[in-house]
Amino acid sequence: MRWERLPRPRALGYAIVIVLGGGILLATAWVLAGAYNVAASAKHFYVTDRLLKLVLYRSVDTYSAGIEVPPLRDAGLVRLGARHFVTGCQPCHAGPGMDQSPIAASMYPAAPALGNNVEDWESRELFWIVRHGLKFTGMPHWPGEGRDSEVWAVVAFLRELPKLSPQEYAELTRGPRSPGHGFPLDRPDLMAQCSGCHGDADNGPVASLAPSLNGQNTAYLIRALEEYAAGSRESGMMEPIAAALTESAREQLAQEFGSFASPTPSPPDGDSAERDARIARGAGIARDGIAQQNIPPCLACHSPGKSGQFPRLEALSEGYLIEQLNLFRDGTRSGTPYAEIMAPIARRLTKDQIADAAAYFSSVERGAREAPAAHAEARP
Amino acid sequence: MRTLRLASLLFLALPAGCGGVQSALVPRGAEATEIDALFWTVTWVSVAVTILVVSFVAIALWGPSRWRNIIADHWVVTVGGIALPVVVLSALLAYGLIVMQVGAARSASADGPGITIVGKRWWWEVIYDRPDGSTVMSANELRLPVGKPVEIRLESDNVIHSFWAPQLGGKLDMIPGRTNVLTLEATEAGISRAQCAEYCGGAHALMSMFVVAMPPEEYEAWLEAEARPASEPSDEAAERGRTLFLENGCGACHTVRGTDAAGVVGPDLTHVGSRRSLAAATLPNDRDAFARWIRDNQHIKPDNLMPPYGNLTDGELTAIAAYLDGLE
Ligand code: HEC
Ligand code: HEC
Ligand code: HEC
Ligand code: HEC
Ligand SMILES: [Cu+2]
Repeated sequence: MRWERLPRPRALGYAIVIVLGGGILLATAWVLAGAYNVAASAKHFYVTDRLLKLVLYRSVDTYSAGIEVPPLRDAGLVRLGARHFVTGCQPCHAGPGMDQSPIAASMYPAAPALGNNVEDWESRELFWIVRHGLKFTGMPHWPGEGRDSEVWAVVAFLRELPKLSPQEYAELTRGPRSPGHGFPLDRPDLMAQCSGCHGDADNGPVASLAPSLNGQNTAYLIRALEEYAAGSRESGMMEPIAAALTESAREQLAQEFGSFASPTPSPPDGDSAERDARIARGAGIARDGIAQQNIPPCLACHSPGKSGQFPRLEALSEGYLIEQLNLFRDGTRSGTPYAEIMAPIARRLTKDQIADAAAYFSSVERGAREAPAAHAEARP
Repeated sequence: MRTLRLASLLFLALPAGCGGVQSALVPRGAEATEIDALFWTVTWVSVAVTILVVSFVAIALWGPSRWRNIIADHWVVTVGGIALPVVVLSALLAYGLIVMQVGAARSASADGPGITIVGKRWWWEVIYDRPDGSTVMSANELRLPVGKPVEIRLESDNVIHSFWAPQLGGKLDMIPGRTNVLTLEATEAGISRAQCAEYCGGAHALMSMFVVAMPPEEYEAWLEAEARPASEPSDEAAERGRTLFLENGCGACHTVRGTDAAGVVGPDLTHVGSRRSLAAATLPNDRDAFARWIRDNQHIKPDNLMPPYGNLTDGELTAIAAYLDGLE
């Protein structure tokens, strides 16, 4: 059969098949031969680069649509975000007035030094980038699954970042350094790092999301650090920090914080009659529970003389208590044997009852601690 | 006709398989005995009526024409279709009313201290009144003195449950906000079972309990013991078990009279070791079952309201089990 004799539509069909098939074969050969150079040192063509950036901008805009931005103008939130930034972001992105590490600068795409360029993004977009990371770049997603409030702390800081001078940045990212505590630690610098967020014997925590560790049960603190390190308790701020600690450092830090005097209560602010009513209702829940809803009294577990693995709650911040109870409720803080004891109880509380209990515990002194009996056996 | 008879025989044979501790056909209580007699009377009368009706139908279809003429007669319709049902149904109604009347009379004669049973999710709170006006809190087991009618007050503070102890009497709903009263009189000593007979959520199917009928003197002695606070741990393991029990916050939900444990969310455990079962007849009552329940209760009785204690080691569980088992 001769070519010219074929009817025209048929000829077109053959042509398409030949071109497509040939193209697939060529592409396969090109991939398998390793012809594409994946070197980070081999830059994209200008057009490719522009196209990739366009895809990135459009994608971030589309996927972050509809995210509600909470109030971010909170000095504590900014400071907490700043202190995470130092260990979590600065190694790649540098801070104001800093030279970027040559290693980070050699990434491709390179981590941009963050400064005025942050202004290009809306808060919801910054949240989305930090929460989800950017595929095919070195930008990681937030390590604490389900911990959006932590991400917002970082966004609160990023909003302030362009305004900061190098001095102000250094000021903001440095924790309290109260002299006079002879830490019996191998690494006193670690204590300084912790106190940057958690405060120390003389200073309170920087933000309500970071709990005071002072006077907390030591066994509980050690276990919390182990759970963060193992990834069984979600927190994008604590997981990397705890994972970097040796077992003996965890113990020493827990002993140290546990030996500090318990924090001073900070009653929630607001209209005082309303607040007092909340505290009174919270006191009822703490002491008597709500039998009708199968809620046991909180103090039957969270009080001196109980297992050292049960945390003390008095004088923790209202924001932290509410956050944790919500995490138990929505299943983010679950899966560990101890969380499974607390979670069903938290699920029986309504949002209002959570607020009442938090108002109560945040506003009362922590009673003296009896030494918990040394009965707990070592876990296998 | 053959197959029909066979089928009805089979049907009658079915209940024979329902013997045992939870069978209404093995009455061990005054009310259950009366209900049992009523049940069989109604059943046999129904059988007789069915046979009669079926025979008439058969004659009408296939019988010789002489017979058919007879049953087509007026008087057959009047007697068989009107008089007979009126007499039979009235007699059965009268019998039913008499049984109820006898029940009411027995209720009136139940002048001793009563028992309140509160339906929980998914267990039973059992509160015994004592002659001196005090009450004894217990759970997940009902004890009754043989030969004495006892007033049982049925309540609920959550959803609707229904109390049914088939060997002792009929079932009655436990309705939030009201008290339904049932009178039970055990006629012989022995153990039977009660069951929640109204779907009440997740673990409803595992909401039962044993009913122990005992001679009156034994019952009095038992109630006397039940009223006492918990016994002291008898050995070192049990002693350690008590410490662990209190440290782990079990007292947030459970009461053990005589200790700091004063919770009301779960069953009273003051004398849990003397019960026949655990968790509303879900598990036997032995040390192994205690340990399994404490660590694994969400698998054993899914959705029940006690958190699982996966934090406790085998050694710790053994100690707590020894303590609870000793609470007789
Ligand atoms: C391992 C290095 C690395 C770390 C750690 C890192 N980033 Fe990035 N980040 C990158 C890279 C690489 C990009 C560039 C992506 C691109 O340009 O396509 C990026 C992009 C960004 C952007 C978008 C900037 C822009 O204008 O394009 C923001 C905002 C950002 N990161 C914030 C953070 C924050 C906040 C943290 C800390 C929680 C952080 N990053 C941690 C590597 C990192
Ligand atoms: C960047 C701020 C930051 C730094 C630095 C930091 N933490 Fe934390 N830490 C947090 C936050 C936020 C939480 C609450 C996390 C959560 O919600 O689970 C937390 C929680 C904890 C808890 C659990 C407390 C509880 O009541 O459950 C422990 C223990 C802890 N941190 C120990 C440490 C130690 C030890 C260090 C120093 C090595 C340290 N943290 C450094 C922010 C920080
Ligand atoms: C049966 C014992 C028990 C009772 C009752 C109980 N809890 Fe807990 N709670 C625990 C345990 C165990 C933990 C530790 C969970 C973990 O480490 O994951 C905990 C943890 C918590 C935490 C987290 C503290 C921190 O530092 O992160 C809060 C908040 C809390 N409980 C609040 C309450 C409130 C409010 C009540 C009363 C309504 C209550 N608990 C009743 C056992 C109990
Ligand atoms: C949050 C409340 C709560 C806590 C804390 C709790 N329990 Fe329970 N427990 C219950 C409830 C509710 C039941 C009834 C479950 C059912 O049968 O549906 C129960 C049942 C039991 C039973 C069976 C009782 C019976 O009458 O058969 C035992 C035994 C028991 N719990 C032991 C413990 C021990 C030991 C601890 C501490 C390690 C503990 N419980 C902690 C709520 C609790
Ligand atoms: Cu039920």
